[in-house]
Amino acid sequence: MTARKRSSGARARGRRPRRVVPARSALAPTGVVGRPGLRVDALAKVDGSARYIDDLRFPDLLYAAVRTSDLPHAEVLRIDVTDAQQVPGVVAVATFRDVPGQNQVGCVRPDQPLLVETRARWVGDRIALIAATDPATAKAAARVVKVDAVPLPGVFDVEQALATGAPAVHTGGNLIEEFCIERGDAELALRQADVVVEHRYLAPWQEHAYLEPQGVIAVPERGSMTIYGSMQCPFYVQSAVARLLGLPLSRVRVVQTVTGGAFGGKEDYPSEPACCAALLAHKSGRPVKFVYNREQDIQWSTKRHRMVIQHRLAARRDGTLLGAEIEILVDAGAYCGLTGIVAERANTSSVGPYLVPNVRVRTRTIYTNNPFGGAFRGFGAPQVTLAHEGQLDALAERLGRDPLDLRRQNALRPYAVAAWGEKLAPPVEYLETLAAAERLSGWSALRRQVEAHNRAGGRTRLGLGVGCCMYGSCLHAGGQHLEGSGALLQVHRDGSVSAAIGLTEMGQGAATVVARVAAEVLGVAVDQVEVLPTDTALVPDSGPTVASRTTPMAGHAVANAARQLRAQLLPAATGLLRCRANQVELSGGWARGPGRKKVAFADVAAAAFQAKAHLAASGWYAPPRKQFDRATGLGQPYSAYAYATQIALCEVDLATGVARVKKFFCAHDVGRAIFPDGVCGQIEGGAVQGMGYALTERLVVRDGRILNANFTDYLIPTIEDAPEVAIALIESGDEGGDKGRGTASQAKGPFGAKGIGEPSLIPAPAAVANAVSHALGARLTELPLLPDVIMAEIARRNLDNVPFVESAAT
Amino acid sequence: MAASEADLGRSPVALTINGRRTVLDAAPGERLLDALRRAGWLDIKESCGEGECGSCTVLLDGRAVCSCLLLAQSAEGADVVTAAATGHRVVGALRRAFVEEMGTQCGFCTPGMVLAAADLLTGDGDPDEAKIRRALAGNLCRCTGYHRILRAVQRAAAELREEVQP
Repeated sequence: MTARKRSSGARARGRRPRRVVPARSALAPTGVVGRPGLRVDALAKVDGSARYIDDLRFPDLLYAAVRTSDLPHAEVLRIDVTDAQQVPGVVAVATFRDVPGQNQVGCVRPDQPLLVETRARWVGDRIALIAATDPATAKAAARVVKVDAVPLPGVFDVEQALATGAPAVHTGGNLIEEFCIERGDAELALRQADVVVEHRYLAPWQEHAYLEPQGVIAVPERGSMTIYGSMQCPFYVQSAVARLLGLPLSRVRVVQTVTGGAFGGKEDYPSEPACCAALLAHKSGRPVKFVYNREQDIQWSTKRHRMVIQHRLAARRDGTLLGAEIEILVDAGAYCGLTGIVAERANTSSVGPYLVPNVRVRTRTIYTNNPFGGAFRGFGAPQVTLAHEGQLDALAERLGRDPLDLRRQNALRPYAVAAWGEKLAPPVEYLETLAAAERLSGWSALRRQVEAHNRAGGRTRLGLGVGCCMYGSCLHAGGQHLEGSGALLQVHRDGSVSAAIGLTEMGQGAATVVARVAAEVLGVAVDQVEVLPTDTALVPDSGPTVASRTTPMAGHAVANAARQLRAQLLPAATGLLRCRANQVELSGGWARGPGRKKVAFADVAAAAFQAKAHLAASGWYAPPRKQFDRATGLGQPYSAYAYATQIALCEVDLATGVARVKKFFCAHDVGRAIFPDGVCGQIEGGAVQGMGYALTERLVVRDGRILNANFTDYLIPTIEDAPEVAIALIESGDEGGDKGRGTASQAKGPFGAKGIGEPSLIPAPAAVANAVSHALGARLTELPLLPDVIMAEIARRNLDNVPFVESAAT
Repeated sequence: MAASEADLGRSPVALTINGRRTVLDAAPGERLLDALRRAGWLDIKESCGEGECGSCTVLLDGRAVCSCLLLAQSAEGADVVTAAATGHRVVGALRRAFVEEMGTQCGFCTPGMVLAAADLLTGDGDPDEAKIRRALAGNLCRCTGYHRILRAVQRAAAELREEVQP
């Protein structure tokens, strides 16, 4: 299959990109897939008519508030809610004693009570819940809940948490689990290498900072509960609420409302506010709303995991990589949450897209009394990518090599064996992304410009940094039991189409992709397809909306349903066109037969309805089973891989220590862009989130409490920080399958699409850190690179003693 | 979020919202944001509630302001425009441009973004890129990377210029 590339570098300068018409193949789309067009949900978003959770109204609505632990670690002796119950306007108060089912919200391990029984393990732990007729009353009542608690010593650092005698956050010690990769002999490789590069990287917490805070409304009804809310994973919420209330899943319905950003922050976490609201709704018999304000949202919700990564990379003098030894410590916080699954991805991703024959990786997850880690775009990969890409640049520097060239030398190619022992089936498009990023950035010329600028010795220094990744598309083998995904499609008798999926639109463009896939397969126009809000009552459990799996998984399910519907419509079409089924072509809202005969799709639908055809179809998709051995970390962890290369041009002001990204170049292997403008929008947004992580986003945590839970002190990028982002898309457009050459099958999405949500962010922090390191001639290994960090480095390297204007040195 | 004193000492605030003369029933200390949302203007979104993000931006007598930082009672006699406004030339052009250029993803910041840009384009029909960035620097977006927002504002400005010089 010929790869085709689409450059949108032109877009950055306000022009439309050059469109390249793809080579046609049996699998190539003929309709809307891959073509320009608009988001299906844009109109309602620009005029504000889209209804988010806080915009919903219910009669007799109550408002929830929470009394949390004031202490990061404490023995709770007594909880007295008498005063709170007597506040006028308070309708229900709940403590752990009021939970009818299990007092448990741990989404993987049962280590997290919804409400504290005897032990508080971080400042966000809930002691009591209040429902009142207005929010202020609920808050006032929460303040008068009396808690007798004895402070316990806390532990706030992963290394200290592992030391003997450290306070135990849970009985059984602070080490939760371990993951590894053991392949070849890493120790021997390190001993025999010409060069060993070793650094310790510190990847900090990151706040999601979606603009819409967490929010849910629980509506009770005769022994069942309906939850409306802002979320990624309605089926997680359904399970959590059912377990808490002791209800069968059939009595808990979850409806996702328009969701104002998530980025992983609404994967596991919404189960917590949902359980709070559900318990209060159960107790009061009235609908209960629980919408966080910004401070609560930042203080209580999960964060990108803080990781400490010790990375040793061994190479021959000619640059050939020989081995890697990597130790990763993951701060889980007070509860495990999704930490094990994040760690599993970090563990697998820690070597990067390189041929490294000898690998030893150990990843440990550790309890502390810190805020707890959860899902965040990239799921552990951005942290380890910071390390492996820092190492590649450090090695290039040590050997006097060009960073792109060193990567090319060691790149994984088709049929190469990845760190986890899997022989990679083609296409393996890593080299293509390297080449495309090199072209897009004008790498050699740009490097010469940067060097000339720095030799001139002005107030600023420039730096170029590369970041690359190999993203395992969809769920890791460890989570493959959740990988099945469903869809429900209905053709109405007027030819309009309703589509429901089990995964969610949260801003990323899933609804548009679903509409496009349905339209492409059914042969209708995109605006004939209405994508419904995700509702657990409509579609079977489709797993979580995570791991960049919505386009591949929901896309396949929709295509599957649409193919069934097509077959169900064909008899009506053949009747109207008076031809055989194989002569009918459905496309663009028409059914065409031989000899220019055509009828509108709507007429076909009407005729099919008259003929009592079944005009609904339930679609399902589950990728092939993957074999993976957790004990060695070897096997096939993912169904397919998406490769990316990003290049950052950064400028550092030596007088202020401010680093800025001036230009950013992205080359992504996306399989096929079903909605190219949406893909580019994801890349631009993900890249800028990654830049924020690298440069400005510092969560200040003291004794487990976040001190900057607001947007004045926690700095996400503004429009003044966001640089021009130039993009190249690499599309092989192959749906894949077992090539019968001893390689595992590459199961991709419909039309060969791979997810882009996470690969857009994963290499960005590394690229920026490498660029700033290049500018300063130092290796910066701890994020974020705020001015205090950079000024310290400038002082250490005496760069501040260099006069700002000097004649060009040789 | 509504204040608990909401039922005490309410007083009428007469103002114009999207061209319609309206009387809001506002409690002392109530934020303009809450009074407007309570009156059904749910296109105004609350994200930070502290004037840091711009999501709750409205035009108050033509200027973009954070409605979370204003008391409802201070808006007496004001002309308020929200993203839902019909028949507002600049807001209409911006809405179209945000759709065309895909300057929206999750959409939560979008109404505020449109209004901040409307303030800019009302005062300057041909702002350069730096001026657009400066004008929108108080409006946070976490999804788009701002690229398409910038292009949307440029597109709307061009469209509005063409309208006046046919």
